[in-house]
Order: sequence, then C-alpha cells, then structure tokens
Amino acid sequence: MDPRLVPEAENRLAAFNDERASIVDQVSRRVIDAHVSQAKLSTEHSLEYVLNEVAFSEMRRLEGGGRQTKQFLRWHDLAHKLGSMSEFEKHRELSSIVRFHAQDIAGNFNPKVYRFAKDVLPPALSFLLNPISGFREGVKALGSMAAQIRIEGELEAVRACCSRGTLVLTPTHSSNLDSIVLGFALQRSLLPPVTYGAGKNLFSNSFMSYFMHNLGAYRVDRRLGFSLYKEVLKEYSTVLLERGYHSLFFPGGTRARSNMVETKLKLGLLGTTATAMVNSLKAGDSKRRIYVVPVTINYRLVLEAETLIEDYLAETGKARYIIEDDEFSRLGKIFEFARKTLAHEGAAVVRFGRPLDPCGNEVDDAGESMDAQGRRVAPDGYVRDCEAEVTSDAQRDSVYTRMLGHKLAAAYHRDTLLMSTHLVARAALEVARARTGIRDILRLMRLSESALALPLSELCEAVDKLRAVILANPAHGIVQDSLVPMSARSIVDQAIHFFSTYHTKQTLYRSGEHVRIGSMKLLYYYQNRTAHIQYGKERAQ
Amino acid sequence: MSARAETVGIVGAGPFGLSLAALLGRAGRDVLLWSRSEEVVADVSAGRLSQRMPELQMPLCVGAVSDVHEFARRVRFIVVAVGSESVRRRMHALGEAVDGSHIAVHAIGAFSAPHDHRVSTVISEETAILRTGVIAGPSMPADLAAGRATSLLCASAFDEVTQECRRLIGVPQIMRLYRSRDIVGAELASALSGAYTIAVGLADGLGVGIGIRSVLITRAASEMARLGQAAGAETKTFFGLAGLGNLLVRSSVQDEHASPSYRLGLAIAQGEEFTGENEGARAAHAGHRMARALGVKLPVLETISRILNGELAVSEAAERILLTVTEEE
Repeated sequence: MDPRLVPEAENRLAAFNDERASIVDQVSRRVIDAHVSQAKLSTEHSLEYVLNEVAFSEMRRLEGGGRQTKQFLRWHDLAHKLGSMSEFEKHRELSSIVRFHAQDIAGNFNPKVYRFAKDVLPPALSFLLNPISGFREGVKALGSMAAQIRIEGELEAVRACCSRGTLVLTPTHSSNLDSIVLGFALQRSLLPPVTYGAGKNLFSNSFMSYFMHNLGAYRVDRRLGFSLYKEVLKEYSTVLLERGYHSLFFPGGTRARSNMVETKLKLGLLGTTATAMVNSLKAGDSKRRIYVVPVTINYRLVLEAETLIEDYLAETGKARYIIEDDEFSRLGKIFEFARKTLAHEGAAVVRFGRPLDPCGNEVDDAGESMDAQGRRVAPDGYVRDCEAEVTSDAQRDSVYTRMLGHKLAAAYHRDTLLMSTHLVARAALEVARARTGIRDILRLMRLSESALALPLSELCEAVDKLRAVILANPAHGIVQDSLVPMSARSIVDQAIHFFSTYHTKQTLYRSGEHVRIGSMKLLYYYQNRTAHIQYGKERAQ
Repeated sequence: MSARAETVGIVGAGPFGLSLAALLGRAGRDVLLWSRSEEVVADVSAGRLSQRMPELQMPLCVGAVSDVHEFARRVRFIVVAVGSESVRRRMHALGEAVDGSHIAVHAIGAFSAPHDHRVSTVISEETAILRTGVIAGPSMPADLAAGRATSLLCASAFDEVTQECRRLIGVPQIMRLYRSRDIVGAELASALSGAYTIAVGLADGLGVGIGIRSVLITRAASEMARLGQAAGAETKTFFGLAGLGNLLVRSSVQDEHASPSYRLGLAIAQGEEFTGENEGARAAHAGHRMARALGVKLPVLETISRILNGELAVSEAAERILLTVTEEE
C-alpha cells in the first residue's frame, strides 16, 4: 500500500513548547504533593528522610571530583542542616530540587528544526548514505530511503491506535542509531514524531544533541541514583502520556551489549503507561487509550558491535553503563558506517509488532483491547475495584506491568528479523563447537582463530538446519524474506560479503573450500541474535 | 456495598464447590453457583437437598444459574472448582461473559489437562480475567460441609485478589485464609503433592512402616521445593499448606474417602497395572519433564513417573525409593 494514501498523523509535539511550563509545573506539583502527604502519614516517609537520601547520594557521586567543589559542598551543607530545618524549609528545599530536575528533564520541540529534519535531512542523508559516488546517481538515489531502511509489520494497527490514543513505542535497542533510524521510519510511515528519554551523555555529541534536544527528547541523567529523581522522571513520562504525547521507551534500558534479543526488561518507565491510564480514567477521559507498540530494530551489521561485545565480555557492562568513547561519539565513523552498510537494501529493518494495552492485552485493528481468545474487552475494567470505581493501586499496576513486560519480550523474539549475518554466525559457531568439542565461548576464543577452518559444506548444512528450525517455529523470529528461497551457499556468501564491508576485523572469510573465523568475538556477537533458539545438541542437554 | 461486590460466584457444582457454597451460605454470605446442570440449578435454587451431596442442606442465600451471562453480571469474585480435565473448556465458556473487572481464584489441586498447564494461566488464556489466584491446602469437602475449622492458602501476584478472597470466603472460627504472592509455588505445590501421594500410597501398600513413610513425605516436600525454586517459586510454599499440608491430607485419609492418587499408589503396590486418568499421575509426568528441562534431580518423582510408564517394576521401584529416601538429605 502506498503510505501516501494514508493521512499524516497529527504531530502532537508541535504544541509542546506552549505546554512545556505547565507540564513542568504539573510534574513538580504531583511529586511534591505526594511526598508532603506521605510525610504526614508516617515518619518513615518524612521529608528529612527523602532529602537525606538525595544529599548522600549526590555526595557519593560527586566526591570523586573532590570534597571542596561547590557542588559537593551544596549537598554536604544540606545533610548537616537537615536536623535543624523547619518543615517549611524542608518543603522549600524539596520543591526546589524537584523543580530543578523537572526543568532539566523537560525537552524542547522546535518546529523549524523538525521541518529541517523531516524535509531536508532525509534526502541529504540519502545522498550521503549512497555508496555510488557519482553526483547523477546520487541525485537519483534521493528519495530511495525506502530501499535502505525497510518498514514492516502491523503498520495499519499502529496507525489506527495513533488516531485514537497515545502511542508508546518500545523498541529493542542495539545501537545509538536506533532513535534516528526509528525517527526516519516514523516519518516515512506518516506517523508522528515521538518524545523519548535519551541519556544525558548522548547530548555530548553536539550534532546529535542539537537534533535530539529540539525534537522532543528529554534528558535522563543516569548518574543520579536517588529515588526522588526517578520519581520526577516517571511523573514526567506519566504526564506526557496523559496529555497525549506519543513516547518512546527502550525497555531493555541500555543497548544490548551481547546483541541477544532482550528478555530482562526494565519496567520503571513502562509502568507509567498503567499509571497514566488510571489517571486519565479518573479524570473522566475514558476514550483516550494508551497503546504500547513492540518494535524491533534489526541491523545486518551494528555500528558499535566491536565496542559492545568487548564491553560485554569484559563483564564491565555495569561499570561502563555509559560508554562515552564508542563509535557513536565519532561523526566520521557514523558516516562511514552509513555509507558502507546502511546504504545496502534491507540493511536496517524496523518492524512494528501488534500493539498492546497497558495490561498486556493485544489490541485489534480498530484499537480495541482483546482477551487471549480475541474477544473484545474494555481495558478500564482492569483498574476498577469491587464497587466498579477506578482506583489507583500501585501494587496491582506493577503486576500488570510485569505481564506487559512478558508480552513485550515474547513479541521481541517473534518479531526479530534474522538476517544472513545472524544465521551464518550461529551456524559457524555450531560447526566450530562440533569440530572442537568445546561449547564454552571463552574457551573457544582462546583457540587460535586461524586454526578454526570450517568446511564450507558443513557450514551450509548448518545454515540449512538453523533456517528450517526458525521457519518451523514463529516464536523464534522471522527469517528475512529474501533468504527463504536462497541456497545456503548464497546465504553464506552474502554474510561473508557483508561482514567484509565495515568492521575492522573480518568476522568470517573464505579460504578455498573453507571458511575461517577472523573474529570470534564478532562471530559471538552476531550469533547472539539467535541465542534464544535452542536446538540439536544444546536442546538435548 | 453493592450486591455484586458481596456475592461469591462459584463455577462447578462438585463436592468442593457445593461444600464451599454451603459453608459460606451458613455464614450469611451471598453465593451464586454457575452450573450447566439444570437439575443442580433447580435443586439449589429451591433450597432442596443436592442430589450430588444428599447430606448437604443448602442455605437460602445460595443461588444457582445456568446462564453464564447472568452469572458474570451478578458476581465479580469467582471461585473455580471444576475438574482439571474440563477446566479449559469451562473457562472458555466463562470467557464468553466475563470481562477485565472480574477476579478468579481456583481450587484445583492439579495441572490442567491435557497439556499440564497451571490453571491460573489457563484462566488468563481462555478468559479476559487477569487478576487470578489459587486457594490450596488441606481442606476436604467433608470438613467444609460439616463446618469444621480449616485453613487454606490464597496465593496471587495481586494483593487485591488475596484481600478480596479473605474478605469473601474467610469465615471467622471456621475458614482461615493465609495469603501469599507466590502463585506459581502454590499451584506447583498443590499439583505435585498429588504425584507424591501416589508414592506414599505405594509405600503404604508395600507396608514400609511409619518411619520410612515419614522420611518419604519429608523428602517429597524437599523435592517439590527444589523444583519450585528452579521454576522461580519460593521454597517455603512447598512446606506450607499447599505442599506438605496437601500431601499429608491426601495420604492420610483412607478407606472409601481416600484420594484417587493414594488409591492408585495402593493398587500399584498390589501389582495392578495403571491405565486411565489420574491427576497425580499427570502431575508426576509433568513434574518429571519440568525437572529435566530445569536440570533438577528428583529421584522420587522420577521413580513414580517411570513406574506409571511401565519402565520400572514395583519391586525395583520400591528399592529405589527406599534407597533414595535414606541416601541423602
């Protein structure tokens, strides 16, 4: 279907700047009021306790920079003063902290920047991404973005949901390019731009920061560990959803270091969907729905693969939660990646899954929730008590959010597109394991890479077998269309070709009738996309 | 409160459903049974003695309907007390009428046939109900019918479900309900205790004596707990009412009231071949499969499963069980 026949969805973000002050105010008031009323109920929730946690958390974070810095002393002073402060002073301090962070988190939406990004950037980037250097061919390639970033899945249902409620896009997260690729996909699908929380570190790349900051992204400072900050962040997200701003969360939290399809999801921001639904219903707005859309962003090659897998293997994932020196921080590297890999057809595929309601029920093409048997069901029933009143119940909603998380994880597996690089990497690892008798990846890595020569015939056989296993079970994922009729030999050739286009080390390369492993780490990284699929020996064990 | 909020809906007019209805009715609670049998509906509605449990006098505040839509309209809180072999079918029928506002707890101490799923997942797969729970423990229908003091565990991930359960089916001095969030553990414990009941029946049939019998029961609780822990449940659940409590009651009642699983164990000890359907036997196979998938070693359960499959002779099995229970703590 020609997407141009579909009317473009309303860009709710266009009105963001007019509402920004009132959003920040509403967020602040809710967080402050909640704390003040809780403090009245029990000493355990006293303002002193809340402020103390902020002060100590900040002192711990800042002490590395010296104990005499202005910032450190500000919290040090607060911690010392707390015991002698009046309730009025504590209230004022709490208000000032909450309002400061609400302001800091709130994004901005500049319609001029959006128009530029929407109308000028895609053709310009299309030109940049095209590997053909001739100007004429470059001009011809303008508007050929469709061939480069493919969009698949339940687009009709997503559009229907968009017209009657607030969308929460929840994609898998492999690369910092995800939000940009998804941005293009939304624009091409005539879906509106979305707001999202981006790590404050991403704003350090001034080029990206300019766009992110002016296209509705809000800033999430992952260094801040105190719970008051998380409350402000969640409330900000809740208020945006209630006001109808389509949003984007990465439930995996951070980029998947291992490249495995995410199963352990962070439910914090996801939980704001249920809270926003309850708040809207309590405010009498029963028509506006909230829809959670699973999205998989699939790359044949990943820009930051080398750094991410190193990080994963070094088991420093946690310590280096914020990587500031990876491929994404170098603009030249991004363009190199774009020209060499994204320029090829189907190199990045965005796949929209069936939208869900905040309790995890799938919705039909008209945006109505359905039970597991496909019968329509009104979502408000789930948050009504025995007297049919809509009630706030954080414990209840946390269980719904957990259910939603399970549904999302299943959707990620189901909707993951498996490309030649993933299939061949997995097959190669299986052959290497069978030939050496070593299953443990760390032991395999210690073997000399040149010693691992895999007979092409065995590799092709393994590719055939893996493809058959995936095709037989839709829960495993989707084999990319073009690979279904291809011979295993052609799939191997294609993967080896793509592996040679970008990474500094060749993951796999041909050597006569053998295929050699050039980088076991990268091989492991790409095979991990299929790690949830167990078959053959692994299953028997 | 509204009548809907105060009425307990019961699906299934078997011994447990009818006994619970009578107990709650006597405590002055409004109860509505949903049964497909017009005969049961007529008997209960008229306050006549139930033909299924002639000794049971049904109080007037217990009603019954055969129309599922009327049932769903009049109740919010539902107790599911049907057989494990028919639960999926009955829940599918219930699913035509209920919506997201309903709450359902089940009292089925077995996995659902034929695929051995936990019953709470069957409820959510077949109906729009997401707020589910389980009531489990050593409450025999005869105790409920006679109004003898008893206790059950109510487990649900939702605190609201356990609160409603305690409010609506807790009866001071008679029915005490403990609560837990470990629904996975409670369902596994309740179903698996059926499997171990076969082992106790077998041991009794072989006349092993009270000492080894006690060791066997203790080992059974320990095995269940290991499997439960691997499946994400809390170990303490298996040593509580749903696990050890259920196993003790199922393997203690003898003569004509003995549980089918206990009787099966006795029959095997007497050399009879197992054919047909038994909830404990299904739980033994399902538990054994689950243990293999999770990499947990459960010698007693494996032995029961292999006897039932005809892979082990009773004499050999008895020796294995005795060796196992005396070998390791």
